[in-house]
Amino acid sequence: MAIDRLTIVSKNNQENEVMPKNVIGSVMVLGGGIAGMQSALDLADSGYYVYLVEKGPSIGGVMARLDKTFPTNDCAM
Amino acid sequence: MAEWEPKIVSFLCNWCSYGAADLAGVGRMQYPSNIRVIRIPCTGRMSPKFFLAALKEGADAVWVSG
Amino acid sequence: MQLLKKPRYVDESKCIACGLCAEKCPKKVTDTYNAGLKNRKAIYVEYDQAVPLKYAINPKECIYLTKGKCGNCKKVCPTGAVDYDQKEEVVTLNVGAVVLSPGFKPFDPSRFDNYQYTKYKNVVTSLEYERILSASGPTMGHLTRISDHKEPKKIAWLQCIGSRDINRCDNGHCSAVCCMYAVKEAVISKEHEGDHLDCAIFYMDMRTPGKDFEEYYVNARDKKGVRFVRSRIHTITEVGDTGDLEVRYADEFGEIQVEVFNMIVLSIGLEADPDTVKLANKLGIDLTRSQFCNTSSFEPVNTSREGIYVCGAFQGPKDIPESIVDASAAATAAGASLTEARGTQTKQAEVVPELNVRGDRPRIGVFVCSCGTNIAGVVDVAAVKAYAEKLPYVEFAANNLFSCSQDTQNKMTEIIKEKNLNRVVVAACTPKTHEGLFQETLLAAGLNKYLFEMANIRNHNAWVHKEAPELATQKAKDLVRMAVTKVALFEPLEEAELQLNQTALVIGGGISGITTARNFAAQGFETHIVEKEARLGGQALSLFKTTTGENVQEKLSALVDEVTQNDKIHVHLNASIEGVEGFVGNFKTTVNAGGKSQTIDHGVAVVATGATPFATKEYAYGTDPRIITSLDLDKKLIAGDSALKTMNSAVFIQCVGSREKDRQYCSRVCCTHSIDNALELKKQNPDMNVYILYRDIRTYGEREYIYKEARKEGVIFIRYSVDNKPVVAVKNGSLTVTVMDHVLRRPLEIETDLLTLATAIIPNDNEKLAQFFKLPLNANGFFVERHAKLGPSEFATDGVFLCGLAHYPKPIPESIGHAQAATSRAVTLLARKTIHTNGQIAKVDPMLCSSCMVCVSVCPYSAPSLAKEGRFAGKAEINPVLCKGCGLCVASCRSGAIRHNGFDNSQIFSQIFSLSQVA
Repeated sequence: MAIDRLTIVSKNNQENEVMPKNVIGSVMVLGGGIAGMQSALDLADSGYYVYLVEKGPSIGGVMARLDKTFPTNDCAM
Repeated sequence: MAEWEPKIVSFLCNWCSYGAADLAGVGRMQYPSNIRVIRIPCTGRMSPKFFLAALKEGADAVWVSG
Repeated sequence: MQLLKKPRYVDESKCIACGLCAEKCPKKVTDTYNAGLKNRKAIYVEYDQAVPLKYAINPKECIYLTKGKCGNCKKVCPTGAVDYDQKEEVVTLNVGAVVLSPGFKPFDPSRFDNYQYTKYKNVVTSLEYERILSASGPTMGHLTRISDHKEPKKIAWLQCIGSRDINRCDNGHCSAVCCMYAVKEAVISKEHEGDHLDCAIFYMDMRTPGKDFEEYYVNARDKKGVRFVRSRIHTITEVGDTGDLEVRYADEFGEIQVEVFNMIVLSIGLEADPDTVKLANKLGIDLTRSQFCNTSSFEPVNTSREGIYVCGAFQGPKDIPESIVDASAAATAAGASLTEARGTQTKQAEVVPELNVRGDRPRIGVFVCSCGTNIAGVVDVAAVKAYAEKLPYVEFAANNLFSCSQDTQNKMTEIIKEKNLNRVVVAACTPKTHEGLFQETLLAAGLNKYLFEMANIRNHNAWVHKEAPELATQKAKDLVRMAVTKVALFEPLEEAELQLNQTALVIGGGISGITTARNFAAQGFETHIVEKEARLGGQALSLFKTTTGENVQEKLSALVDEVTQNDKIHVHLNASIEGVEGFVGNFKTTVNAGGKSQTIDHGVAVVATGATPFATKEYAYGTDPRIITSLDLDKKLIAGDSALKTMNSAVFIQCVGSREKDRQYCSRVCCTHSIDNALELKKQNPDMNVYILYRDIRTYGEREYIYKEARKEGVIFIRYSVDNKPVVAVKNGSLTVTVMDHVLRRPLEIETDLLTLATAIIPNDNEKLAQFFKLPLNANGFFVERHAKLGPSEFATDGVFLCGLAHYPKPIPESIGHAQAATSRAVTLLARKTIHTNGQIAKVDPMLCSSCMVCVSVCPYSAPSLAKEGRFAGKAEINPVLCKGCGLCVASCRSGAIRHNGFDNSQIFSQIFSLSQVA
């Protein structure tokens, strides 16, 4: 990708971070391709706040570069 | 008298052709301005009466796309 | 988590994507979106449909940011969005879970000389070829060679570039998607150019094990005339200065052949992105041999670190529907771990009470947008505004510089209130992107959001008629007039609110059904499982180990115990479904369990009815105890049958009942399953001769490693052709299999102690269930999902979901992922608690209805039905929850009894009639 807009610098660390006492109702999705977008949509629709993180300037990933998809030959876009 | 120009009425499906016409704009594809678009929710909505009405109102062509 | 947010150098809240900046930008940069086949500017959007549709500056290329000069884009930007001073910032986010979906990296063939990718111009990658085929690509969808713009007459695809090859590229895995995309590209090329275009695919094994894939492949070969050449490529050389390419290859008999093509497409594989590998190391999660994310068969989207989940191609090479399945599965897994915090971080919008304007004389406000210079640069917006003011019922008209900006929105809200407007027209960009925004403006002013219409004077007008400003102004007036005429006829529409029953019904108690129920319960939803047999477990009860070596029976019984003991889950055994009533949110299903009937109220249903092994009559099955099926062999392995250890020889025959005339599809799991079992036999007795008779080995993804391992361990693979199948004979107590060896070109007779038939997986009889829920079945009897790519875990019928083998054959990890995905999709519905119907739907006038049933038969969503009771019993009624507002019934109704809110006959006619009233 031309511009790396968002990259992970470091993790905030330690196991106790992963299992906090108070569960936080938000999820970070890393990567805005077709999988990341679907996951983010499902999580948001299920009642979680989602941070969708993408390194490029727009979401869509590789699928957006495809012409058509089989077996239906639908336009990939 | 100016050269004759056709009047075209087009019925475009909201989910595909209407969006495609939008994209033609985004891509700045130039075309003659003779078309008037009527957005419909699906080409399934098309009724023969719409064609006839458009022709009666002076349209030279009716284009349905979806 | 700490993130580094890199600057875009364009303020997203100000950029209106007008493109003036890119027009004036002097710096040309390679367009990575178009695989480097054309140029774009240093300030750019990736592609026309990009989300967000906001420009960004490439700081490595921008003349201002690199040399401090130029600044053109800032000068021309009408909204002042360009900001060269944006800095990198570190963002810290506290989250409850992380989902990794970083994707893959397309294999780069320039690293290796033998593909001649850098040397010859007409050798392109498959991703470049996608752009060449695309209407928005560098050739505008005309199939030509980029080098000399000649139309190719012969194109070759070379498979497994960067896959299944540890000698040259170190990628031992199969990339799983290339066979299918190569077939697709070849078929689409022929559709572009006609039958005279020669398309040849050079391959090792054709791997088309997905749903409808084999049919597509056979169709490409037999009907479309795509040539498939089983071969090994030797060298590629250019023919003089023609740009044509000579391919030297060894055919399946090992003989060297030569053929010349105009163009070569390299079917490049998928590999893990080194950046992702770094990220994984930073996060401390385990990777596989090919550096994809390591997951277990029973938790396919959990990484080795708690709280971090994975989906998409980073979990292993996979195609779009599998990525979509995974994505939903990861959402379920992440969601289940955070159930107690559901809804705590989301925000609710404030609701303004709605004014009652029903029956009032229309008072229309028209806002004509300049969109900076986008519209105003072509259309005389002042003239359009002046024209609008004179139209009937128009009380107010104004010009806006940018209608979509927040301050203009606030101003519009004030004007609506101040002038008592009760209908609004915005003449601007397009309703596809901005209708929702302006409807919000109406809501904020206390107006029903359906009292709104847009006139598309940018995308359909100013942008496409740049050279004819007068005609464009004329057209803008016409479009505004049409919108005003239509909006005058609008009435406020209601969105009914329905309570959603929070209970789920899962049909089928196999591994998919159990997983689904378990996930529903974990997210706090009451669940019923209906299983036709006397115990839970389904086909998994006969399975020995997964490909990753996990013991199926141990895991399965733990799962069954968990589900049985969970008080949110109610298991109904020996049960069948006798009837279904209702619709999404409010189903009533009658279940008969062990002779007793009961009605279950539920909001959603998941179909997980599984599949069954095909009972073959071929290969003397049933005549000799030594001839068994794959599942029989698993049962022997589960039982620890000691006779297996003493055998001298074992033979597997693949594709028994699959990939044939009557059953075209590939059963997906059998290649891997037989190889797993062959290796197990070799492990129990290394001296045993093990033969696998196959047609194509389809160990997709990292399963390829076990194929390699099997060859290393001495398992003998012999390919047979479907026209010349192996022959099985039982004579004088000895069991022999005779097969034509393709390489030696002579028959080979194998005496064996065990013959395992890899029989097809066939669907259960789903007819009745399909009718109950109005679900479609395909020709093979599998259920048809909402969308082959984007809706693999749900049906077009709202509130009904699908997973497991009832959809298509798949191994355990994929069934579990699919089950998690179905749960996720269902939970997105249940979490809403209520359903809001769309206002723009069809409605029956029962006084006019003649009960002809046409609406009932044409509706793709089963929304219309005949009323069973009440004053209008026998007349059609439309369920507003199921209606999608397509209008098919409205157009089909012979009695004119169906009205269409928002697109009613009177409203569409008003637009047509206003056409002739030239401004």
